[in-house]
Amino acid sequence: MPEDILYSIRHLTVEYTTRAGTVPAVDDVSLDIRRGEILGLVGESGCGKSTLGKGLMRLHTGPAKITQGELWFDGRDLMTLPLDEMPEIRGAEIGMVFQDPMTSLNPVQRISDHLTETIQTHEPEVSEKEARKRSEVLIERLGIRRERITDYPHQMSGGMRQRVMISLALALRTKLVIADEPTTSLDVIVEAKFLDLLKELQKEFGLTILLITHNIGVVAEISDRIAVMYAAKMMEVGDVKDVFAQPKHPYTQGLLRSVPNIKLDGAELYKMAGAPPDLSHPPAGCRFHPRCPFVMDICKEQTPPLEVIEGNQLAACWLYPSVMAKRQEASHA
Amino acid sequence: MKNIGVRPPEITPDTTTWEVELEKVGLVRRILNARKWYGADWWFVAISSVLVAIFIIIAVVPQLFAPFTPETQVGPSFLPPGEYPPVPVLVVPITSTVNTLSDMAVTSSQPRPVVSVVQGGNSAGALNDAAQAIDNKIKNEPAGLRLRPVIDRYPTVQEALQAVADGKDKAAVIQSNEFKDASAQYPTLHQAENLAGGAQTAGGFLLGTNDIGQDVWSRILWGTRVALTIGFSSSIIALVLGVPLGLMAAFVGGAPDRLLSLLMDSMYAFPGLILAIAITAVLGPSVLNVIVAIAVLYIPTYYRIVRGQSLAVKEEVYVEAARSIGARSWEILQRYIFPNVIPSVAIIFSVNVADAILTGAGLSFLGLGLPPTIADWGIDLARGQRFIQNAWWMITFPGLTILLVVLAFTMLGEGLTEIFNPKLRSR
Amino acid sequence: MPETPSVGTNALQREASTSTNELVRVEHVSKFFPVQTGLFASLMNRGNVPSVRAVDDVSFTIHKGEVFGLAGESGSGKSTIGRLVLRLLEATAGKVIFDGVDLGKLSGGEMRRMRARMQIVFQDPLASLNPRMTLGQAIDHPAKIHLTKLSTDERKKRIYDILSAVGMNPAKAFYDLYPHQISGGQRQRVVLARALVTNPALIVADEPIAMADVSVRALLLDLMMKLKEEFNLTYLFITHDLATAKYVCNRIAILYLGKLCEVGPLRDVYESSVHPYTHALLEAVPVPDPTHRRTEAMPAGEIPNAINPPPGCHYHPRCPMARPNCSVDEPPLRELLPQHFTACHYAEELLK
Repeated sequence: MPEDILYSIRHLTVEYTTRAGTVPAVDDVSLDIRRGEILGLVGESGCGKSTLGKGLMRLHTGPAKITQGELWFDGRDLMTLPLDEMPEIRGAEIGMVFQDPMTSLNPVQRISDHLTETIQTHEPEVSEKEARKRSEVLIERLGIRRERITDYPHQMSGGMRQRVMISLALALRTKLVIADEPTTSLDVIVEAKFLDLLKELQKEFGLTILLITHNIGVVAEISDRIAVMYAAKMMEVGDVKDVFAQPKHPYTQGLLRSVPNIKLDGAELYKMAGAPPDLSHPPAGCRFHPRCPFVMDICKEQTPPLEVIEGNQLAACWLYPSVMAKRQEASHA
Repeated sequence: MKNIGVRPPEITPDTTTWEVELEKVGLVRRILNARKWYGADWWFVAISSVLVAIFIIIAVVPQLFAPFTPETQVGPSFLPPGEYPPVPVLVVPITSTVNTLSDMAVTSSQPRPVVSVVQGGNSAGALNDAAQAIDNKIKNEPAGLRLRPVIDRYPTVQEALQAVADGKDKAAVIQSNEFKDASAQYPTLHQAENLAGGAQTAGGFLLGTNDIGQDVWSRILWGTRVALTIGFSSSIIALVLGVPLGLMAAFVGGAPDRLLSLLMDSMYAFPGLILAIAITAVLGPSVLNVIVAIAVLYIPTYYRIVRGQSLAVKEEVYVEAARSIGARSWEILQRYIFPNVIPSVAIIFSVNVADAILTGAGLSFLGLGLPPTIADWGIDLARGQRFIQNAWWMITFPGLTILLVVLAFTMLGEGLTEIFNPKLRSR
Repeated sequence: MPETPSVGTNALQREASTSTNELVRVEHVSKFFPVQTGLFASLMNRGNVPSVRAVDDVSFTIHKGEVFGLAGESGSGKSTIGRLVLRLLEATAGKVIFDGVDLGKLSGGEMRRMRARMQIVFQDPLASLNPRMTLGQAIDHPAKIHLTKLSTDERKKRIYDILSAVGMNPAKAFYDLYPHQISGGQRQRVVLARALVTNPALIVADEPIAMADVSVRALLLDLMMKLKEEFNLTYLFITHDLATAKYVCNRIAILYLGKLCEVGPLRDVYESSVHPYTHALLEAVPVPDPTHRRTEAMPAGEIPNAINPPPGCHYHPRCPMARPNCSVDEPPLRELLPQHFTACHYAEELLK
């Protein structure tokens, strides 16, 4: 694994067992997260982006199960670790920020208790006083007044709670922060300020952030790279500037053109036909082919692999020669 | 977690799966097809509904299944399950021509047959009674036969049997169980006639008899009728009163709601069995009074669930949508709130029947509610408890039956949740 | 199209001042919700119950055939206004005049009949459909209430027509389905069909596409615009998403803490806003273009509690332009430019 890659997901498949049968919510997805980058993972509801995020920490319970794949994090495959060692990695090395911080903060604990406890659980040698001091410095850095550290979660606003969540990750100097729709419950102005803060923190602490969101605008604003998922499959990965300038996959092309842009004048929204498929009966071949304007015969039969198209830009689409090269010639045999 | 990352399986009109078909069929077909979507647990519904059906059939026609009437004494007391009651039997040598007592009848000129009995036992009496009966029957016949056996008393069974084996006595009359124990030592002897005359003991007692010689099995079967009558009637009464009250309270709100809720909550807060005891104590013992007492007990259950559900449904956007299209209050209640509340009522009904059966049994266990002459599981339990040391079957079998009935209704309730609730199914 | 059900003539209290171009006129409408407090607290403050000023003295007009946007952040009172316009909530003060009729003066029966002409589409289509009614029954219910002259068969035909109009083809295949059996986008189409079946003049669309998938939104918006032409509709489009509003609205009103900040033609408001809050709001919207960088600083703090809003101008604690009198004098909504209203004492400084 190259040195600049922090987390390498290889052929990850997560399946949900439902009454209608097994539903792959993440289907054979590979993705690299580079050190110090903000990687935006976008997709529509139900495309498997949140399932993928939880999969990175092996957080699945109940009907969901990782059935295949390797999770190379900082030099080791997390899939080979026993499950009871995962809590040491969660929180300490990989932090998570959820859409609604209220559900992940204990309502009867003060913010200071959350922070000092987290620090002391993972770094027992730190004294209570020092942990408290570190928490105060941190929280002030995140723009919350020092005296508010004794507040309970419900006394804070949504934006402040989301900052507290980030501070928990920063307190332990986590290597990777998985932020799952962190700004979806926030109002636009608060969201804008939170995004600015995230960008600053990434630069200042060298944070690596996986930003899971359905909001394309948020990704454009702060991400370095973007990964696009559709119906449990990875469709396109690349630098944000490249992908927005020249999206390769027809789904990305349609998606980007269907997002309202407040700054752009005159352009009409692209009206993508159809709706995302039902994952318990996904279409054969490329999952996007029933909605694709460039659909070919092969799209209906074979699933395109994710291949390099140009520079750092990868896409899973038969339109490109590098993908075509991987075509199985079984039908001719 | 709100976003589980997977969309519930959806059906588009062009995919004609069995789930679409299922929506179009009636309730009966839906239940029949239940296993199709119920996955591995369809047997859960199947077993419980079969059990419930069996109990209902038994409750309707217990006489078809019960060998005895439940109230009459039909055998000796405390007979263990599966055993025959001891009866006096005629024991003769295998080679003997004698097969019945009447075979031993002789003319007055012939010597009277000698029959051995055990001292102090009741076989001598039985022998005398039987002989007298036969004698009375045959004495006027022209043949002039008489049956006047000479009774030879021995102190033990062994000696009595030995006398027959030795040919000293023609036959022995001893208790069947005593002969069964001793028969191995006397291979030349076998059991001939049974002097009790026998029809009433022909089948034995499957689950034994109780302290007053009633058949435990028959009482359990007849008890089903009482238990199910109490369970269903009280639950239906509670439902019929509780559901409209709950709907009304939730929909009207304000003072009537608060007043009614206060009343219901105080009833609910009161220990159930004690409330039922108080009501039956006032009303006096009868099946009807028990039903009334238990119904009163469960009205708050329906009221609370229906009121709570209705309050939640009332806040749903689709109810506001109904108001926005100009629907009247009554229509909203009937078409939007009620159909979304009723599934939870159906579910609690089944569980409620089980609960009511348990409470009914509890009441009669305490000696309240039912007149003691009625065949009821609770009464049987109370009796069994007194003799738990030496007659375990008296309390065990009624207890197991209650367990089975309660389990069957509860399981059915759980299964019905799935059938009645299409929203749950898609999750 | 069948005839529009009419409201009884005795209920028609035409206001002389109503111009024919107006469909809805909201005059000084307020809605205060009493705050739920404990028993002890309510005993202590008898007669002085604190209330949330969800909507505070709001006035605007909606013209026939336009899409009037109502935008604001959470807690701004935009959804409450939508319900006040339809009289799904009773206003604490002020009045709503719909097509010349003061809705507040209508009796229960008259109001019910009036509902045929004003409908609402909610944010969550699944929640706004009764799970135990088929799609056909759901659309049929308003028709049954209001189109009393139609026979059952005629109604059914009309429902098929409406379903086709909202793009649910073949209509017959959907009639007997339940809401949980169709996709999110299809559900919102059904909700639109239910709103359209009585041939209304006004549709209040409360965040109609917020729950839809990104790739489905554009199609839904397009459908709404097509239906507007086909059925001669007027929309009150409530949204928190200014980027979407830009594609559909003719005029827009910006709300902050239950009060209007700015009202005007969409282009004027977006290109030269005359209220500092609108300015910040427009700047904050994420732009799906990585080459775009936000340059302006965002206002400090978050939206204050609506129980005790700041005195004077509600926005003054966060406003970069605030002067001492902003915390004392409440700015009135005034027409700064033709048809372009603002509630800022110093709006002139924002004019370019």
